[in-house]
Amino acid sequence: MTSLLGGIFLGWALGANDAANVFGAAVSSRMVKFWTAAILASSFVLAGALLGGQSGIETLRGLTHFTSNQAIIASIAAACTVTIMTLLGLPVSTSQAVVGAILGVGILNRQLNFAGLGKVVVCWVGTPVGGMVLAIIVYKLLAAVANSTNLNIFQSDILLRLGLIIAGSYGAYALGANNVANVTAVFVGAGMLSTSAAVLIGGLSIGLGILTFSKKVMETVGQKLVRLDPFSALAVVLAQAITVHVYSLVGVPVSTSQAVIGAVLGVGIIKGVNTIQRRTLVHIFLAWFLTPFVASVFALSLDFATHLRYIPG
Amino acid sequence: MFKLLFKKERQVQELIFRYLDNLKKTQEHFEQAMNCYFDFGLGENFDFLIAQTHKFESRADDIRNDIIEMMYSKVLIPESRGDIFRLLESIDLIPNYFEAVLFMIQSQKIKIPDFIVPNLREFMRISLECCDLVIRQVDAYFNKTEDIKALVSTIDSHESRCDHMEREIVSKIFDAEMDPFEKMQLKELVGQMGEIADQADRVSRSVYIINIKRRV
Repeated sequence: MTSLLGGIFLGWALGANDAANVFGAAVSSRMVKFWTAAILASSFVLAGALLGGQSGIETLRGLTHFTSNQAIIASIAAACTVTIMTLLGLPVSTSQAVVGAILGVGILNRQLNFAGLGKVVVCWVGTPVGGMVLAIIVYKLLAAVANSTNLNIFQSDILLRLGLIIAGSYGAYALGANNVANVTAVFVGAGMLSTSAAVLIGGLSIGLGILTFSKKVMETVGQKLVRLDPFSALAVVLAQAITVHVYSLVGVPVSTSQAVIGAVLGVGIIKGVNTIQRRTLVHIFLAWFLTPFVASVFALSLDFATHLRYIPG
Repeated sequence: MFKLLFKKERQVQELIFRYLDNLKKTQEHFEQAMNCYFDFGLGENFDFLIAQTHKFESRADDIRNDIIEMMYSKVLIPESRGDIFRLLESIDLIPNYFEAVLFMIQSQKIKIPDFIVPNLREFMRISLECCDLVIRQVDAYFNKTEDIKALVSTIDSHESRCDHMEREIVSKIFDAEMDPFEKMQLKELVGQMGEIADQADRVSRSVYIINIKRRV
């Protein structure tokens, strides 16, 4: 069990951080109570992990061959990378950190599945782009429905609130299905866990992160979304959820934060306003290259360190 | 199920309608007080009707406070709360102007010369029609029963007419052979009465802006 701690820690951190992408808008604007959001998010994350998490695990475990030690090293390297990139203020993607760490292990093993890696990298680029395109489509569809109905302020607010709860729950399901592979795929690759045990442990650790440490992140990170009007926030959350869910069906773990940024950009295009600063976009591109690089360097360094032997002179 | 989930939203909606009913009653008592004053001048009846107007105005304040308290206990989305809050604050100025007019007459013991009474009656009638239309417009906004834009232009034309009448009455006062002090006193009263239609127009525009702002 102790050998899984790195993965569980990674799952916990992922839950604490990424829950804001699905319920941040609703919680920070006080439309949904934190505990309602946290319980819904953790339940749907677990459901997503159990029902749709297998394909992502298959993709990541197929990138290289692992030993038990290497699995532990990969998960610790990914966790350290996420921590460092967060401290640097870059929009860190756990998925990119994990893939970077696996890449480091693959370099050591001189065995990498380049076809699988190519699919993963293409999906990384496709995440913000997909979020943006879907946000435009979702916004236009929702706007057409909203403008065709003759609802008063109370009715439309009720629908908006329900919409945010449903979109948030769906987003949590997609988060669980997509990101559980980041948490426990390396242990499946090393033969330490079965796929079903991996999705259960991964789902529970993400859920634990949401229940124990996501409140502050939801309240602060979520406010970035609420600066948009609530209707746009709903379109963003829904577009992000669909994007992440599509990638979980493809079997590639992606970043929910980058999907959100893409979706916010899409809403900005429709409304003709600049919703994302150029600096944020530069940070995304920087993170695309830095995160996997830092994670693989960490994995290589940790592996090197574990093989050092003291030879008395 | 939904009724249980969104009980507070329904309560806020009911309170808003109660507030509008109360505003109508305040307006009715103001109208009665003014008619009593035009017909019989200052007296006990006038004082009684002022007290009644004040009673309904105070009740409107209580209802408004209840609405605000309930809205900020996590009812409605923040943007809507702000819109309704500002709208209520704006509507609430109308009964304040009713009271201000009555108190001005009562405390300054104003005597209106006969030659401007018909003009003032007409001026008051149109001003109060503006208020009726605003109440109808606010009700239509919350119930989605009729076209808000059409009401905005009707209220706007009424308000323009009131402005015109206000200028006409003031010049009539200053053309008359009267004590300059009384002229200034009457001018102030007419100006205060003119605020009623102006405020109704401001509320009407707020409702229109809130309505178009929510279109996506």
